[in-house]
Order: sequence, then C-alpha cells, then structure tokens
Amino acid sequence: MQYKSQQIAKNFYTFAVLLFLVQIVVGIIAALQFIWPDFFILNFNTIRTLHINALVVWLLAGMMGATYYVIPEESGTELWSIPLAKLQFWATVLTVGAVIVGYIVMGLNPQANIEVLGTRLLNEGREYIEAPRWADILIVVSVLLFLLNNFMTVLKTKKFTAVQGVLLAGLTFLALMYLPGMFYTKSMVKDQFWWWWVVHLWVEGSWEIIAAALLAFMLHKLIGADVKVLAKWMYIEVGLVLFTGILGLGHHYYWIGTPRYWLWVGGFFSSLEPIPLLLMVWDAFRTTRETRGTIQNKVGLYYTVSHAIFNFVGAGLWGVVHTLPQVNKWTHGTQITTAHGHLAFYGAYVLLIIAMIYVTLPSLRGVKEFNQSRGYQAFWWMTISMVFIVITITGAGMVQTYMERLMGLDYVTVKASYNLWFWIFRVIFGIGFLIGVTILVKDYFKLGKEPSAGRI
Amino acid sequence: MSTNSAKNLFIFGSLLCFVVLVILTIDTMGKIDSRAPEITEKINAGKKVWHKYDCIGCHTILGNGSYFAPDLTKATERKPKEYLKKFILNPRAIKKEAAMPKLGISEKEADDLIAFLDWMSKVDTNGWPPKPILAVAGAGREARPGYVLFQKYDCSACHQIQGIGGTAGPDLTYVGKKITDVQWHISHLKDPVSVVPDSAMPEFDHLSEEELIQLAEYLVTLK
Repeated sequence: MQYKSQQIAKNFYTFAVLLFLVQIVVGIIAALQFIWPDFFILNFNTIRTLHINALVVWLLAGMMGATYYVIPEESGTELWSIPLAKLQFWATVLTVGAVIVGYIVMGLNPQANIEVLGTRLLNEGREYIEAPRWADILIVVSVLLFLLNNFMTVLKTKKFTAVQGVLLAGLTFLALMYLPGMFYTKSMVKDQFWWWWVVHLWVEGSWEIIAAALLAFMLHKLIGADVKVLAKWMYIEVGLVLFTGILGLGHHYYWIGTPRYWLWVGGFFSSLEPIPLLLMVWDAFRTTRETRGTIQNKVGLYYTVSHAIFNFVGAGLWGVVHTLPQVNKWTHGTQITTAHGHLAFYGAYVLLIIAMIYVTLPSLRGVKEFNQSRGYQAFWWMTISMVFIVITITGAGMVQTYMERLMGLDYVTVKASYNLWFWIFRVIFGIGFLIGVTILVKDYFKLGKEPSAGRI
Repeated sequence: MSTNSAKNLFIFGSLLCFVVLVILTIDTMGKIDSRAPEITEKINAGKKVWHKYDCIGCHTILGNGSYFAPDLTKATERKPKEYLKKFILNPRAIKKEAAMPKLGISEKEADDLIAFLDWMSKVDTNGWPPKPILAVAGAGREARPGYVLFQKYDCSACHQIQGIGGTAGPDLTYVGKKITDVQWHISHLKDPVSVVPDSAMPEFDHLSEEELIQLAEYLVTLK
C-alpha cells in the first residue's frame, strides 16, 4: 500500500464479507422453504428478497472498496477526501440497514407496506429493486458522492490511465442505469421493459466493464504484466461486452408484450455474449504464462483466473444455451434461469470481489507474506458446492421444462413431487457453500495478523 | 490493432449500440399499448395490489419473478375467477397443502388483482407460454362422451387424473371409488357448495341435464 487513504477500502470489504455470510444463511433458509414453505417465520418472498439484495449490495460494496483502492494507486495520490469517503460508507450502511428492517417488517405484516406519495413505504414489490423510492434516492446520492470523490482524486494529478478510465466509466454507467427503475408505469409491460434496462444493463453491461477493468488491474498487480498490452485487450473486451450486451438486452423482450423484432435483435446479439468472456479467460491465461520470476500472492491469482473461467462458464455458457428464442420459449421462467443466475453471479462477480480482496488486502494490512491455506480451502468448498448447486437446479429446470412446459403437467406437481430430490441436494450443497464462506470470512479477519504458516 | 484504436472502437462502438437501443426503445414504447387492452383504473389498482404484497417474490409474471410459485400471466385463462378469488383471500381454506399463506388481502383488493391478471392474460406475448406439445397431441384421444365433456369444460385446469391436470382442486384419479353416487356428482357440478360447504369450485349449472349425467357417469368410473 502506498497511500493511507486506501485503507477506507477495508470498511467496504468488511461490510461486503459480512453481508455475504448473511446472504448464504438466508439462501439456505430459502432452499429449505422449497421443501417446507412454512420453515421460517418470514415467508419465501422476504427471504428471497434478502438473499438477492444482500448479494447485490455486498458486490457493490466490494466494487466501491476496490475502487477506493485502485483510484489512488492509479492516480498516484491520496484520495480527494477521506471524511467524505467515510460519510459515504456509513450513509450506505445505515440506508441498507433501514431497508432490511423495512423488508422484515413488511414480511411480518404486509399491511405495513402502505402507499406514500404514490410509492410503497417498505417494499416496492419489484424483483431485485424492491428497495423503496426513498432508499433509491439515498443510494443514488451515495453513489454520486462516491463518484465525485474518485473523479476529484483523478483530477488532482490528471494522470489518466486506462484501468482508471474504464473503471470509472463502468461505475458512471452503473449509476445512470439505476434511474430507469425509479418511476411508476401503469402498464406491467412497460414496467418490466424499464426494469430490464436496470437489471440487464447492470449485470451484462456496467458490471462486466468494471470486471474487465479490475481483471486488468489484478493481472498487472499480481504478475507485473505489461500495462499497454493489458489495456489494449481490456478495451477490446469491454468493447465487445457492450457491443453484444447492450442490444443483447433484447433476449428479455421476447415474451413480455413487446414487438416481435426483439426476437431477432435479442437472439443475434445475446448469442455473441460469451465471446468477450472467452477472451477474458484467454487474456488471464496468456498473461499468467508470461510471468517472470515467482508470484508471491498465489491465492490472489487463483481467484483471479477462476473468476475469468467461471464468468465464461456461468454467465457465458449457462446463458447462451437458453438465449435463442426457439429454446427460450420453453425454458423461460423455469429453474434453468435460476441455475444460470447462480453460476453467473458466482463466477462473474463473487469470485471477482474475493479476488480483489485477496489481491489488495495483504498490502492494506501491511504484509507481503500470509497464510494462504484458508484461502484455498474456502475456494474449494465454495466452488465445488456451487457447481453441485448449479447441477441440481439445472436438473430441476430440465425436468420442469420437460414435464410442465412440454408435457403439460401442473407446476405444483412438478415442483412438489418430481423435483423434490433436487431441492434436498441443493440444501446439502448449500451447507457446503456456507462452510466455504465461513472459512473465507475467518480468513478475511485473520489475514496478515498471524505468523505466516510458510506455505508460500 | 493499437491501444488507441481499440479504445476508440470501444467508445464509439458502444455509443452507436446505445443509440440503436434508444431508437428501438422509443419505437417499442409507441407499440406496447396497442398490444394489450386499455388499462382502466381498476386494472391499475390491481397492479398496485400486486406490488403491495410483493407477489413477484414468489410468483412469476410474463415469466419473470421468483420461480417458487406458478406463473400468473395466464392465471385467469387457466382457472375460474371465482376460484382465484376464494384462493387469494384464504389459500389454505381452499387447499390445505397450499404453500401460499393468508396475506390479509381484502375483497376489493382481490377483485382488483383479478382484473389486473385478466388484463395481463390478454397481452400479446408473441405466443408465450406455448401450449404443451403432448397435451395438444393427446387431446381427444379418448372418445367416451363423459371424457370429451371433461375436456370441453377444461376440468383438468384444476383437477388431475393419472397425474395430468392442475392441482387447484382435488385429484380425481380415484374419485369413483370415494363417491359412487351419480346423483351426488350431478348436484356437486350444479352447485358445489350444496354438498361441499367450503368448495371454491364455480357452479357448472349451465350444462344441460344430459351433459351433467354423462360427466357424472364418467367420474364414477374413475377407480
């Protein structure tokens, strides 16, 4: 670490890993509710909302932490304002806390979700963006303060670098794409149309841009790879991500009441979406092969390369198999989508943020060597469990597609009878995943604070 | 390719794609309303009920949502509205093993919600969800008059026979073993609550006497 102000990243990392733990605990409750709907005091809808909102928030917190580390380093100066960064951190934590309390209150008493100024007080009832309008506004303010702080830091030295530019471009795009989810429409079709702008252009647009920038940063930091070569490939990757991803949005507009031309637009562009992700895998391997000397932070590199691979497999392959309208007609709205969602988020963003933590935390803690064994243990527990979770959900999705969609059996019959074993196995592997996350969180708090076990 | 040309390709290529997306969005916005019936105040009130109770937290609509409970895009096409209303008000009074809890939805909210779902079912979704191919291929294979009526009045929307059909109402695979009385079935079809007090099944009193007898005679053969 070169700059004191980079320490603020740790606040965000801590918040992120703790929320990650919460996300997995509620995820297991949700998985159990597939078997016993009344398993918990809160109904499935609230538990699922917590599971996914926790994920989104901890990944965002991780990205913010990573950015607070990267920007001073790239700009060669301290952060513009540490107090502002701290204020922004605590404001975010408080807002998120208030939103969570709101979800729980609404879950216990749905009548508390009253209408205030034409919008719901506790839960907007829109998937993923359930956070009420007052929280949306606070989140936007928080993100704007965060962007201001980083842009002002860049302007301090005006040392513009490619990683910095792409990272901030991705974050700005992210902030802008939150806005289409902030108004009410009477038509459910228009509602879902704009809602996909937010959801798709985040995860298949701005977040992938951020991922490409952080991947380039990590490869440089870990291996000392040539910045110019990394920058060139990063531009090609993000260029292709947006070329395929922006109009790939069309794959969400096949069946929601929008004109037929989206079948062509969505089918064509989204079929190409795996290409930039494959390029990132190649980029990671090519760079790693060019290593001179030994790599100290092997576990950091491990997570970095795994992120690239699972981004391609989860977001790319598991997505492309059901993206063509001819296939999607049968699989849309089934567990196939859930399987894709799990592996894509794990590969593209969970591993990315953990990689970033492993790459930057040693220097934030002021150590060069650290005990890496727990990092590997966490990786294998999480990855093997996630692969099996995805296999069980994919199996459930195939059974559902065949029996419900093709044969015409009832939804409840398929869910309760034919897919029961898939749900049971999912819970078991979910517990395996929880073990991995527990090891990870423990390692996060211990890293660099104990004598090295000499595994380096 | 130099770094600079890669950068320019990224910036201008992305901007171009975004401009195309905006143009398509404007065009789509102009066309959406004509692909669905007009939205009345009641339908809009129903949509607000949908949001208030976070229905999408368990169900899907237009295929998007939580995959925990059935898709509701065509709910009013698949199930009688009388049934839907009773179920929404108190699911487990209608079906003991229902996963859905009683949410405290009021009568008016239920009516509005059903109006919204009815609007939803009329949206032109480019043919989604598709009709199951085996159900289409197997239709009308069994020629017994009672079975033909069973299909004509879409009884399998709510009732299963040998694993095929809905789960909203009781499974009828062995109904002939449980209730052997043809007259009971006729009274039940005409006015379900007269023999099953908390039934959510709508009245099928618009069937002719002959149809009622044929259907009842078919039901008692299911053993």
